[in-house]
Amino acid sequence: MARRLPGHDAVRGEAVEVRIADVSVRAYADESIAAAALASGARVLSRSMKYHRPRTFFCFEGHCSGCLVRLGGVPNLRACQAPCVSGAEVSGQNAFPSAEIDLLGAVDFLFSRGMDHHTLMTGSSMLNKLANKVVRQLSGLGKLPDKAPSELPDVHRIDIDVCVIGGGPAGLAAATATATGGKSTVLIDDQLRPGGSLRTDPRTGRSEAEARWSAAVSAGVTVLARATAIGFFPEDDGGVLAVSAPDRLYRVYAKQWIWATGGYVINLPFPDNDRPGVIAARAVGRLLVDHGILAGDRVCIVEVPEAAADVGPLASALTAAGAEVTRIPLADVIGTRGRGWTTAVDTIHGKIDCDLVAVAGTPAPASEGPRQQGCRVVLDEAAGGFRVVVDENGRTTTPNVWACGDVVGYLGPTGSANDGARIGANVVREGVA
Amino acid sequence: MAGKIMLCRCEDMTLADLEHSVSRGYRDIEEVKRYTGFGTGPCQGKECLAVVALQLARITGQPPAAIPPFTSRPPLAPTPLKVLARDPGAHVFSDEGGTSETARTQGEEVDD
Repeated sequence: MARRLPGHDAVRGEAVEVRIADVSVRAYADESIAAAALASGARVLSRSMKYHRPRTFFCFEGHCSGCLVRLGGVPNLRACQAPCVSGAEVSGQNAFPSAEIDLLGAVDFLFSRGMDHHTLMTGSSMLNKLANKVVRQLSGLGKLPDKAPSELPDVHRIDIDVCVIGGGPAGLAAATATATGGKSTVLIDDQLRPGGSLRTDPRTGRSEAEARWSAAVSAGVTVLARATAIGFFPEDDGGVLAVSAPDRLYRVYAKQWIWATGGYVINLPFPDNDRPGVIAARAVGRLLVDHGILAGDRVCIVEVPEAAADVGPLASALTAAGAEVTRIPLADVIGTRGRGWTTAVDTIHGKIDCDLVAVAGTPAPASEGPRQQGCRVVLDEAAGGFRVVVDENGRTTTPNVWACGDVVGYLGPTGSANDGARIGANVVREGVA
Repeated sequence: MAGKIMLCRCEDMTLADLEHSVSRGYRDIEEVKRYTGFGTGPCQGKECLAVVALQLARITGQPPAAIPPFTSRPPLAPTPLKVLARDPGAHVFSDEGGTSETARTQGEEVDD
Protein backbone atom coordinates (compact mmCIF):
# COMPACT_ATOMS: atom_id res chain seq x y z
CA MET A 1 0.00 0.00 0.00
CA ALA A 2 1.36 3.41 -0.95
CA ARG A 3 2.04 5.87 1.84
CA ARG A 4 3.55 9.30 2.37
CA LEU A 5 6.83 9.20 4.26
CA PRO A 6 6.96 11.55 7.22
CA GLY A 7 9.77 14.08 7.45
CA HIS A 8 10.73 13.65 3.78
CA ASP A 9 11.89 16.69 1.80
CA ALA A 10 9.03 16.44 -0.70
CA VAL A 11 6.95 18.51 -3.08
CA ARG A 12 3.89 19.11 -0.91
CA GLY A 13 2.71 22.64 -0.16
CA GLU A 14 -0.41 23.42 1.85
CA ALA A 15 -2.95 20.74 2.77
CA VAL A 16 -6.00 20.71 0.52
CA GLU A 17 -9.00 18.51 -0.12
CA VAL A 18 -9.92 17.11 -3.52
CA ARG A 19 -12.68 14.71 -4.56
CA ILE A 20 -11.67 11.58 -6.44
CA ALA A 21 -14.52 9.37 -7.69
CA ASP A 22 -16.89 11.04 -5.18
CA VAL A 23 -14.60 10.40 -2.22
CA SER A 24 -12.95 13.28 -0.33
CA VAL A 25 -9.20 12.87 -0.31
CA ARG A 26 -6.63 14.78 1.74
CA ALA A 27 -3.83 15.99 -0.47
CA TYR A 28 -1.20 18.69 -0.86
CA ALA A 29 -1.43 21.63 -3.24
CA ASP A 30 1.89 20.95 -5.00
CA GLU A 31 1.25 17.26 -5.55
CA SER A 32 -0.29 15.98 -8.75
CA ILE A 33 -3.79 14.50 -8.65
CA ALA A 34 -2.22 11.13 -9.59
CA ALA A 35 0.19 11.23 -6.64
CA ALA A 36 -2.65 12.15 -4.28
CA ALA A 37 -4.84 9.39 -5.71
CA LEU A 38 -2.11 6.79 -5.26
CA ALA A 39 -1.32 7.92 -1.71
CA SER A 40 -5.02 7.78 -0.81
CA GLY A 41 -5.50 4.27 -2.18
CA ALA A 42 -7.53 5.26 -5.27
CA ARG A 43 -6.43 2.85 -7.93
CA VAL A 44 -8.20 2.20 -11.22
CA LEU A 45 -8.99 5.49 -12.96
CA SER A 46 -10.36 4.47 -16.35
CA ARG A 47 -10.70 1.67 -18.86
CA SER A 48 -8.88 1.02 -22.10
CA MET A 49 -10.45 1.77 -25.46
CA LYS A 50 -10.82 -1.71 -26.96
CA TYR A 51 -10.84 -4.44 -24.32
CA HIS A 52 -11.88 -2.21 -21.39
CA ARG A 53 -8.93 -3.40 -19.38
CA PRO A 54 -8.42 -1.39 -16.19
CA ARG A 55 -6.12 1.60 -16.58
CA THR A 56 -4.29 3.79 -14.11
CA PHE A 57 -1.08 5.81 -13.71
CA PHE A 58 2.08 4.31 -15.21
CA CYS A 59 4.66 6.96 -16.20
CA PHE A 60 3.90 9.85 -13.82
CA GLU A 61 5.46 12.20 -16.33
CA GLY A 62 2.57 13.13 -18.58
CA HIS A 63 3.40 10.98 -21.57
CA CYS A 64 1.43 7.75 -21.36
CA SER A 65 -2.35 7.43 -21.43
CA GLY A 66 -2.74 5.58 -18.15
CA CYS A 67 -4.09 8.31 -15.89
CA LEU A 68 -6.60 10.09 -18.12
CA VAL A 69 -9.47 11.38 -16.00
CA ARG A 70 -12.35 13.81 -16.16
CA LEU A 71 -11.38 16.87 -14.14
CA GLY A 72 -13.72 19.78 -13.50
CA GLY A 73 -16.03 18.65 -16.30
CA VAL A 74 -13.25 18.31 -18.88
CA PRO A 75 -12.36 14.83 -20.20
CA ASN A 76 -9.02 13.19 -21.03
CA LEU A 77 -6.79 15.21 -18.71
CA ARG A 78 -3.69 13.58 -17.26
CA ALA A 79 -4.00 13.22 -13.51
CA CYS A 80 -0.20 13.22 -13.15
CA GLN A 81 0.07 16.69 -14.71
CA ALA A 82 -2.84 18.27 -12.86
CA PRO A 83 -2.00 20.01 -9.59
CA CYS A 84 -4.21 19.38 -6.55
CA VAL A 85 -6.25 22.55 -6.66
CA SER A 86 -8.46 22.71 -3.57
CA GLY A 87 -11.95 21.42 -4.33
CA ALA A 88 -10.98 19.72 -7.60
CA GLU A 89 -13.51 17.12 -8.75
CA VAL A 90 -11.94 14.09 -10.42
CA SER A 91 -13.80 11.17 -11.93
CA GLY A 92 -12.86 8.14 -13.98
CA GLN A 93 -13.96 7.69 -17.57
CA ASN A 94 -14.59 5.14 -20.29
CA ALA A 95 -16.34 2.73 -17.98
CA PHE A 96 -19.83 1.63 -16.98
CA PRO A 97 -20.87 1.89 -14.21
CA SER A 98 -17.43 2.74 -12.76
CA ALA A 99 -13.75 2.31 -13.53
CA GLU A 100 -13.32 -0.22 -10.70
CA ILE A 101 -16.29 -2.35 -11.79
CA ASP A 102 -16.78 -2.03 -15.53
CA LEU A 103 -19.28 -4.39 -17.14
CA LEU A 104 -17.73 -3.72 -20.54
CA GLY A 105 -14.62 -5.48 -19.21
CA ALA A 106 -16.39 -8.64 -20.45
CA VAL A 107 -15.00 -7.75 -23.89
CA ASP A 108 -11.55 -8.72 -22.61
CA PHE A 109 -12.74 -12.23 -21.72
CA LEU A 110 -14.92 -12.70 -24.81
CA PHE A 111 -11.91 -11.86 -26.98
CA SER A 112 -9.26 -13.45 -24.78
CA ARG A 113 -7.23 -14.44 -27.82
CA GLY A 114 -7.43 -10.99 -29.40
CA MET A 115 -9.79 -9.27 -31.82
CA ASP A 116 -9.03 -8.34 -35.43
CA HIS A 117 -11.50 -5.51 -36.05
CA HIS A 118 -10.88 -5.78 -39.81
CA THR A 119 -12.74 -9.06 -40.00
CA LEU A 120 -15.08 -8.63 -37.01
CA MET A 121 -18.70 -9.23 -38.10
CA THR A 122 -17.95 -8.65 -41.76
CA GLY A 123 -19.46 -11.96 -42.94
CA SER A 124 -23.07 -10.74 -42.95
CA SER A 125 -24.15 -7.22 -43.89
CA MET A 126 -26.93 -7.23 -41.27
CA LEU A 127 -24.61 -8.29 -38.46
CA ASN A 128 -22.08 -5.78 -39.73
CA LYS A 129 -24.58 -2.91 -39.48
CA LEU A 130 -25.52 -3.95 -35.96
CA ALA A 131 -21.88 -4.35 -34.91
CA ASN A 132 -21.02 -0.89 -36.23
CA LYS A 133 -23.91 0.64 -34.28
CA VAL A 134 -22.70 -0.97 -31.06
CA VAL A 135 -19.04 -0.17 -31.66
CA ARG A 136 -19.80 3.50 -32.37
CA GLN A 137 -21.55 3.75 -29.01
CA LEU A 138 -18.67 2.11 -27.16
CA SER A 139 -15.61 3.54 -28.87
CA GLY A 140 -13.91 6.86 -28.25
CA LEU A 141 -12.37 8.30 -25.17
CA GLY A 142 -14.30 10.14 -22.49
CA LYS A 143 -17.43 12.28 -22.89
CA LEU A 144 -17.60 15.84 -24.18
CA PRO A 145 -16.86 18.69 -21.73
CA ASP A 146 -19.75 20.03 -19.62
CA LYS A 147 -19.49 23.43 -21.29
CA ALA A 148 -17.49 25.33 -23.89
CA PRO A 149 -14.46 27.32 -22.62
CA SER A 150 -15.49 30.82 -21.49
CA GLU A 151 -12.32 32.46 -22.79
CA LEU A 152 -9.68 31.62 -25.33
CA PRO A 153 -5.99 31.46 -24.36
CA ASP A 154 -3.72 34.38 -25.30
CA VAL A 155 -1.18 33.99 -28.08
CA HIS A 156 2.36 35.11 -27.21
CA ARG A 157 5.12 35.53 -29.78
CA ILE A 158 8.69 34.90 -28.61
CA ASP A 159 11.67 35.91 -30.78
CA ILE A 160 14.82 34.52 -29.23
CA ASP A 161 18.41 33.44 -29.91
CA VAL A 162 18.09 29.96 -28.44
CA CYS A 163 15.07 27.76 -27.70
CA VAL A 164 15.74 24.72 -25.53
CA ILE A 165 13.02 22.07 -25.51
CA GLY A 166 13.03 19.99 -22.33
CA GLY A 167 13.78 21.10 -18.78
CA GLY A 168 15.53 18.02 -17.47
CA PRO A 169 19.24 17.79 -16.61
CA ALA A 170 20.40 18.26 -20.24
CA GLY A 171 18.04 21.13 -21.06
CA LEU A 172 18.63 23.07 -17.83
CA ALA A 173 22.40 22.77 -18.26
CA ALA A 174 22.29 23.69 -21.96
CA ALA A 175 20.04 26.72 -21.35
CA THR A 176 22.20 27.89 -18.45
CA ALA A 177 25.25 27.68 -20.72
CA THR A 178 23.69 29.60 -23.62
CA ALA A 179 22.24 32.32 -21.35
CA THR A 180 25.58 32.65 -19.53
CA GLY A 181 27.23 32.98 -22.95
CA GLY A 182 25.07 36.00 -23.73
CA LYS A 183 22.35 34.36 -25.86
CA SER A 184 18.73 35.18 -25.08
CA THR A 185 17.29 31.78 -24.15
CA VAL A 186 13.85 30.31 -23.57
CA LEU A 187 13.42 26.86 -22.04
CA ILE A 188 10.21 24.90 -22.52
CA ASP A 189 9.25 22.18 -20.07
CA ASP A 190 6.00 20.23 -20.01
CA GLN A 191 6.06 19.05 -16.39
CA LEU A 192 4.51 20.66 -13.32
CA ARG A 193 8.07 21.60 -12.32
CA PRO A 194 11.29 21.53 -14.37
CA GLY A 195 13.96 19.02 -13.36
CA GLY A 196 13.05 15.97 -15.45
CA SER A 197 14.86 12.79 -14.49
CA LEU A 198 16.78 14.62 -11.72
CA ARG A 199 13.55 14.35 -9.72
CA THR A 200 13.42 10.57 -10.19
CA ASP A 201 16.90 9.41 -9.27
CA PRO A 202 17.93 8.97 -5.62
CA ARG A 203 21.51 9.89 -6.62
CA THR A 204 20.45 13.40 -7.68
CA GLY A 205 17.03 14.13 -6.21
CA ARG A 206 14.74 17.05 -5.74
CA SER A 207 17.36 19.42 -4.31
CA GLU A 208 19.58 19.13 -7.37
CA ALA A 209 16.58 19.70 -9.65
CA GLU A 210 15.66 22.87 -7.73
CA ALA A 211 19.29 24.08 -7.73
CA ARG A 212 19.68 23.60 -11.49
CA TRP A 213 16.33 25.29 -12.16
CA SER A 214 17.37 28.26 -9.99
CA ALA A 215 20.75 28.42 -11.75
CA ALA A 216 19.04 28.61 -15.15
CA VAL A 217 16.74 31.41 -14.00
CA SER A 218 19.67 33.29 -12.40
CA ALA A 219 21.58 33.01 -15.69
CA GLY A 220 18.67 34.83 -17.39
CA VAL A 221 16.78 31.92 -18.96
CA THR A 222 13.04 32.40 -19.51
CA VAL A 223 11.60 29.16 -18.18
CA LEU A 224 8.16 28.18 -19.45
CA ALA A 225 6.87 25.45 -17.13
CA ARG A 226 3.77 23.36 -17.89
CA ALA A 227 4.40 24.28 -21.53
CA THR A 228 4.34 21.57 -24.19
CA ALA A 229 5.88 21.82 -27.66
CA ILE A 230 3.01 20.64 -29.85
CA GLY A 231 4.49 21.03 -33.31
CA PHE A 232 7.04 22.65 -35.58
CA PHE A 233 5.71 24.43 -38.66
CA PRO A 234 8.59 25.15 -41.07
CA GLU A 235 6.43 27.11 -43.53
CA ASP A 236 5.75 29.96 -41.10
CA ASP A 237 8.33 32.80 -41.13
CA GLY A 238 11.45 30.60 -41.07
CA GLY A 239 9.83 28.05 -38.80
CA VAL A 240 7.72 28.36 -35.67
CA LEU A 241 7.45 26.04 -32.71
CA ALA A 242 3.95 26.01 -31.26
CA VAL A 243 3.94 25.62 -27.49
CA SER A 244 0.78 25.00 -25.52
CA ALA A 245 0.44 26.09 -21.88
CA PRO A 246 -2.66 25.99 -19.66
CA ASP A 247 -3.59 29.62 -20.36
CA ARG A 248 -1.79 30.51 -23.57
CA LEU A 249 -0.23 29.49 -26.86
CA TYR A 250 3.39 30.50 -27.46
CA ARG A 251 4.73 30.94 -30.99
CA VAL A 252 8.50 30.57 -30.67
CA TYR A 253 10.89 31.82 -33.37
CA ALA A 254 14.49 30.92 -32.51
CA LYS A 255 17.84 31.21 -34.27
CA GLN A 256 19.12 28.01 -32.66
CA TRP A 257 17.14 25.04 -31.35
CA ILE A 258 18.38 22.58 -28.75
CA TRP A 259 16.34 19.40 -28.24
CA ALA A 260 16.82 18.05 -24.73
CA THR A 261 13.61 16.08 -24.49
CA GLY A 262 15.19 13.05 -22.84
CA GLY A 263 13.61 9.62 -23.01
CA TYR A 264 10.15 8.25 -22.32
CA VAL A 265 9.71 5.45 -19.83
CA ILE A 266 8.44 2.36 -21.63
CA ASN A 267 6.72 -0.81 -20.55
CA LEU A 268 8.42 -4.17 -21.08
CA PRO A 269 6.73 -7.03 -22.95
CA PHE A 270 5.46 -9.71 -20.55
CA PRO A 271 1.98 -11.23 -20.10
CA ASP A 272 -0.47 -8.86 -18.37
CA ASN A 273 2.14 -6.10 -18.29
CA ASP A 274 -0.68 -3.53 -18.30
CA ARG A 275 -2.28 -4.63 -15.03
CA PRO A 276 -2.79 -1.73 -12.60
CA GLY A 277 0.07 -1.83 -10.11
CA VAL A 278 2.63 -2.29 -12.88
CA ILE A 279 4.27 1.13 -13.15
CA ALA A 280 7.50 2.54 -14.49
CA ALA A 281 10.51 2.16 -12.19
CA ARG A 282 11.35 5.82 -12.85
CA ALA A 283 7.84 6.72 -11.62
CA VAL A 284 8.49 4.77 -8.42
CA GLY A 285 11.71 6.79 -8.11
CA ARG A 286 9.88 10.07 -8.77
CA LEU A 287 7.25 9.29 -6.15
CA LEU A 288 9.95 8.49 -3.60
CA VAL A 289 12.44 11.25 -4.42
CA ASP A 290 10.15 14.12 -5.37
CA HIS A 291 6.90 13.36 -3.55
CA GLY A 292 8.09 11.44 -0.50
CA ILE A 293 5.62 8.67 -1.33
CA LEU A 294 6.61 5.03 -0.98
CA ALA A 295 4.53 3.50 -3.76
CA GLY A 296 4.49 -0.04 -2.36
CA ASP A 297 5.60 -2.12 0.62
CA ARG A 298 6.61 -5.17 -1.41
CA VAL A 299 8.09 -4.07 -4.72
CA CYS A 300 9.09 -6.38 -7.57
CA ILE A 301 11.42 -4.66 -10.02
CA VAL A 302 11.23 -6.25 -13.49
CA GLU A 303 14.35 -5.19 -15.34
CA VAL A 304 16.50 -5.60 -18.44
CA PRO A 305 20.28 -5.97 -17.94
CA GLU A 306 20.93 -2.48 -19.41
CA ALA A 307 18.91 -0.87 -16.60
CA ALA A 308 20.94 -2.40 -13.78
CA ALA A 309 23.01 0.74 -13.11
CA ASP A 310 19.83 2.74 -12.37
CA VAL A 311 17.90 -0.04 -10.64
CA GLY A 312 20.60 -0.59 -8.00
CA PRO A 313 20.34 2.87 -6.41
CA LEU A 314 16.52 2.82 -6.68
CA ALA A 315 16.31 -0.59 -4.98
CA SER A 316 18.59 0.62 -2.17
CA ALA A 317 16.54 3.78 -1.66
CA LEU A 318 13.26 1.82 -1.56
CA THR A 319 14.75 -0.63 0.93
CA ALA A 320 16.00 2.25 3.09
CA ALA A 321 12.46 3.70 3.03
CA GLY A 322 11.08 0.44 4.41
CA ALA A 323 10.07 -1.55 1.33
CA GLU A 324 10.86 -5.18 0.62
CA VAL A 325 12.42 -5.26 -2.86
CA THR A 326 12.84 -8.20 -5.26
CA ARG A 327 14.68 -7.75 -8.54
CA ILE A 328 13.51 -9.99 -11.39
CA PRO A 329 15.10 -10.24 -14.86
CA LEU A 330 12.53 -9.68 -17.63
CA ALA A 331 13.46 -13.05 -19.12
CA ASP A 332 12.19 -14.81 -15.98
CA VAL A 333 8.71 -13.20 -15.95
CA ILE A 334 5.77 -15.24 -17.22
CA GLY A 335 2.85 -13.17 -15.94
CA THR A 336 1.22 -11.05 -13.25
CA ARG A 337 -1.70 -11.78 -10.93
CA GLY A 338 -4.24 -9.71 -9.10
CA ARG A 339 -7.87 -8.60 -9.06
CA GLY A 340 -7.87 -4.89 -9.77
CA TRP A 341 -4.35 -4.34 -8.47
CA THR A 342 -1.27 -6.52 -8.93
CA THR A 343 -0.63 -8.92 -6.07
CA ALA A 344 2.04 -11.20 -7.52
CA VAL A 345 4.48 -11.79 -10.36
CA ASP A 346 4.76 -15.27 -11.83
CA THR A 347 8.30 -16.23 -12.76
CA ILE A 348 9.93 -19.38 -14.11
CA HIS A 349 11.12 -19.95 -10.51
CA GLY A 350 7.66 -19.53 -8.96
CA LYS A 351 5.25 -16.89 -7.72
CA ILE A 352 6.51 -13.78 -5.94
CA ASP A 353 3.93 -11.85 -3.91
CA CYS A 354 4.06 -8.06 -4.15
CA ASP A 355 1.89 -4.95 -4.07
CA LEU A 356 3.75 -3.08 -6.82
CA VAL A 357 5.68 -3.99 -9.96
CA ALA A 358 8.28 -1.48 -11.12
CA VAL A 359 9.32 -1.87 -14.76
CA ALA A 360 12.86 -0.82 -15.66
CA GLY A 361 13.73 -0.68 -19.37
CA THR A 362 15.92 1.70 -21.34
CA PRO A 363 13.98 4.96 -21.85
CA ALA A 364 12.97 5.59 -25.47
CA PRO A 365 14.46 8.82 -26.90
CA ALA A 366 11.78 11.53 -27.22
CA SER A 367 12.70 12.26 -30.81
CA GLU A 368 9.38 13.03 -32.50
CA GLY A 369 9.91 16.79 -32.13
CA PRO A 370 13.35 16.74 -33.78
CA ARG A 371 11.82 14.52 -36.50
CA GLN A 372 9.41 17.36 -37.32
CA GLN A 373 12.45 19.59 -37.87
CA GLY A 374 13.84 17.02 -40.28
CA CYS A 375 16.55 15.63 -38.00
CA ARG A 376 17.69 12.12 -38.86
CA VAL A 377 16.97 9.46 -36.25
CA VAL A 378 18.01 5.83 -36.13
CA LEU A 379 16.50 2.85 -34.33
CA ASP A 380 19.14 1.63 -31.91
CA GLU A 381 18.37 -1.03 -29.30
CA ALA A 382 21.11 0.17 -26.94
CA ALA A 383 19.68 3.71 -27.10
CA GLY A 384 16.18 2.42 -26.26
CA GLY A 385 14.57 3.50 -29.53
CA PHE A 386 14.89 6.15 -32.22
CA ARG A 387 17.84 8.29 -31.12
CA VAL A 388 18.60 11.63 -32.77
CA VAL A 389 21.77 11.39 -34.87
CA VAL A 390 24.29 14.06 -33.82
CA ASP A 391 27.93 14.77 -34.62
CA GLU A 392 30.58 15.07 -31.90
CA ASN A 393 29.53 18.70 -31.25
CA GLY A 394 25.84 17.90 -30.80
CA ARG A 395 24.69 19.12 -34.23
CA THR A 396 21.81 17.21 -35.77
CA THR A 397 21.49 16.72 -39.53
CA THR A 398 19.35 19.91 -39.71
CA PRO A 399 21.18 23.30 -39.67
CA ASN A 400 20.83 25.28 -36.41
CA VAL A 401 19.25 22.31 -34.64
CA TRP A 402 21.16 20.61 -31.83
CA ALA A 403 20.39 17.76 -29.44
CA CYS A 404 21.78 16.61 -26.11
CA GLY A 405 21.05 14.27 -23.24
CA ASP A 406 19.01 11.05 -23.38
CA VAL A 407 17.40 11.99 -26.72
CA VAL A 408 20.71 11.13 -28.44
CA GLY A 409 20.99 7.82 -26.53
CA TYR A 410 20.55 7.02 -22.86
CA LEU A 411 23.08 8.84 -20.64
CA GLY A 412 21.25 9.06 -17.29
CA PRO A 413 20.70 12.25 -15.23
CA THR A 414 24.33 13.12 -14.49
CA GLY A 415 25.58 12.17 -17.95
CA SER A 416 22.79 14.23 -19.51
CA ALA A 417 23.62 17.30 -17.41
CA ASN A 418 27.26 17.11 -18.54
CA ASP A 419 26.21 16.64 -22.17
CA GLY A 420 23.81 19.59 -21.96
CA ALA A 421 26.50 21.92 -20.57
CA ARG A 422 28.90 20.86 -23.31
CA ILE A 423 26.42 21.30 -26.17
CA GLY A 424 25.18 24.62 -24.75
CA ALA A 425 28.77 25.91 -24.83
CA ASN A 426 29.12 24.66 -28.43
CA VAL A 427 25.99 26.57 -29.45
CA VAL A 428 27.42 29.78 -27.96
CA ARG A 429 30.73 29.26 -29.75
CA GLU A 430 29.57 27.93 -33.10
CA GLY A 431 25.92 28.83 -33.45
CA VAL A 432 25.29 31.50 -36.07
CA ALA A 433 23.39 34.25 -34.29
CA MET B 1 -6.84 -10.54 -17.81
CA ALA B 2 -6.12 -13.44 -20.16
CA GLY B 3 -2.34 -13.11 -20.46
CA LYS B 4 -2.18 -10.45 -23.17
CA ILE B 5 1.25 -8.89 -23.78
CA MET B 6 0.39 -5.24 -24.31
CA LEU B 7 2.68 -3.19 -26.56
CA CYS B 8 0.40 -0.15 -26.98
CA ARG B 9 -1.83 0.50 -23.97
CA CYS B 10 -3.69 3.42 -25.61
CA GLU B 11 -5.07 1.25 -28.40
CA ASP B 12 -4.85 -2.18 -26.70
CA MET B 13 -2.39 -3.52 -29.29
CA THR B 14 -0.70 -6.75 -28.25
CA LEU B 15 2.40 -8.65 -29.33
CA ALA B 16 0.00 -11.19 -30.90
CA ASP B 17 -1.58 -8.35 -32.94
CA LEU B 18 1.87 -7.39 -34.24
CA GLU B 19 2.64 -11.00 -35.17
CA HIS B 20 -0.78 -11.28 -36.86
CA SER B 21 -0.13 -8.06 -38.79
CA VAL B 22 3.23 -9.34 -40.04
CA SER B 23 1.65 -12.70 -40.98
CA ARG B 24 -0.89 -10.82 -43.12
CA GLY B 25 1.98 -9.11 -44.94
CA TYR B 26 1.90 -5.76 -43.14
CA ARG B 27 5.55 -5.47 -42.15
CA ASP B 28 6.30 -1.80 -42.73
CA ILE B 29 5.93 0.33 -39.58
CA GLU B 30 3.37 2.61 -41.28
CA GLU B 31 1.37 -0.42 -42.41
CA VAL B 32 1.52 -1.94 -38.93
CA LYS B 33 0.30 1.37 -37.51
CA ARG B 34 -2.64 1.49 -39.90
CA TYR B 35 -3.53 -2.18 -39.48
CA THR B 36 -3.34 -2.34 -35.68
CA GLY B 37 -3.91 1.29 -34.68
CA PHE B 38 -0.82 1.36 -32.46
CA GLY B 39 0.64 4.80 -31.88
CA THR B 40 -2.61 6.59 -32.70
CA GLY B 41 -3.92 7.05 -29.16
CA PRO B 42 -3.40 9.81 -26.59
CA CYS B 43 0.35 9.09 -26.22
CA GLN B 44 0.91 9.22 -30.02
CA GLY B 45 3.60 6.55 -29.83
CA LYS B 46 5.63 7.91 -26.92
CA GLU B 47 5.30 4.65 -25.01
CA CYS B 48 4.92 2.16 -27.86
CA LEU B 49 6.79 3.26 -31.00
CA ALA B 50 10.25 2.14 -29.87
CA VAL B 51 8.88 -1.07 -28.35
CA VAL B 52 6.90 -2.02 -31.46
CA ALA B 53 9.75 -1.09 -33.82
CA LEU B 54 12.25 -3.23 -31.88
CA GLN B 55 9.81 -6.18 -31.77
CA LEU B 56 9.16 -5.71 -35.51
CA ALA B 57 12.90 -5.91 -36.17
CA ARG B 58 13.07 -9.12 -34.14
CA ILE B 59 10.04 -10.74 -35.81
CA THR B 60 10.99 -9.82 -39.38
CA GLY B 61 14.72 -10.37 -38.92
CA GLN B 62 15.58 -6.88 -40.14
CA PRO B 63 18.42 -4.92 -38.54
CA PRO B 64 16.88 -2.19 -36.29
CA ALA B 65 18.62 0.57 -38.26
CA ALA B 66 16.63 -0.49 -41.35
CA ILE B 67 13.34 0.39 -39.63
CA PRO B 68 12.32 4.07 -39.85
CA PRO B 69 9.85 5.62 -37.39
CA PHE B 70 6.33 6.48 -38.54
CA THR B 71 5.81 10.09 -39.60
CA SER B 72 5.66 12.55 -36.70
CA ARG B 73 2.79 15.01 -37.04
CA PRO B 74 1.47 17.84 -34.88
CA PRO B 75 0.09 17.96 -32.31
CA LEU B 76 2.80 16.13 -30.39
CA ALA B 77 0.60 15.99 -27.29
CA PRO B 78 -3.17 16.12 -26.70
CA THR B 79 -4.12 19.76 -27.20
CA PRO B 80 -7.46 21.41 -26.40
CA LEU B 81 -8.85 23.04 -29.55
CA LYS B 82 -9.29 26.33 -27.67
CA VAL B 83 -5.48 26.73 -27.67
CA LEU B 84 -5.57 26.95 -31.46
CA ALA B 85 -8.76 28.98 -31.73
CA ARG B 86 -7.35 32.48 -31.13
CA ASP B 87 -6.48 34.69 -34.11
CA PRO B 88 -2.69 34.37 -34.41
CA GLY B 89 -2.47 38.06 -35.31
CA ALA B 90 -3.64 38.89 -31.79
CA HIS B 91 -0.39 37.87 -30.13
CA VAL B 92 1.43 39.61 -27.31
CA PHE B 93 5.24 39.89 -27.43
CA SER B 94 6.85 38.37 -24.40
CA ASP B 95 10.46 38.01 -23.31
CA GLU B 96 10.13 38.64 -19.64
CA GLY B 97 12.74 36.30 -18.13
CA GLY B 98 12.21 34.23 -15.01
CA THR B 99 9.78 31.34 -14.68
CA SER B 100 6.31 31.51 -16.20
CA GLU B 101 3.33 32.44 -14.03
CA THR B 102 1.79 28.99 -14.35
CA ALA B 103 4.72 27.44 -12.49
CA ARG B 104 5.14 30.27 -9.98
CA THR B 105 1.56 29.87 -8.83
CA GLN B 106 2.37 26.28 -7.90
CA GLY B 107 4.09 27.67 -4.80
CA GLU B 108 7.66 27.49 -6.02
CA GLU B 109 10.30 29.70 -4.48
CA VAL B 110 12.38 30.50 -7.54
CA ASP B 111 13.54 34.10 -7.76
CA ASP B 112 13.63 35.90 -11.03
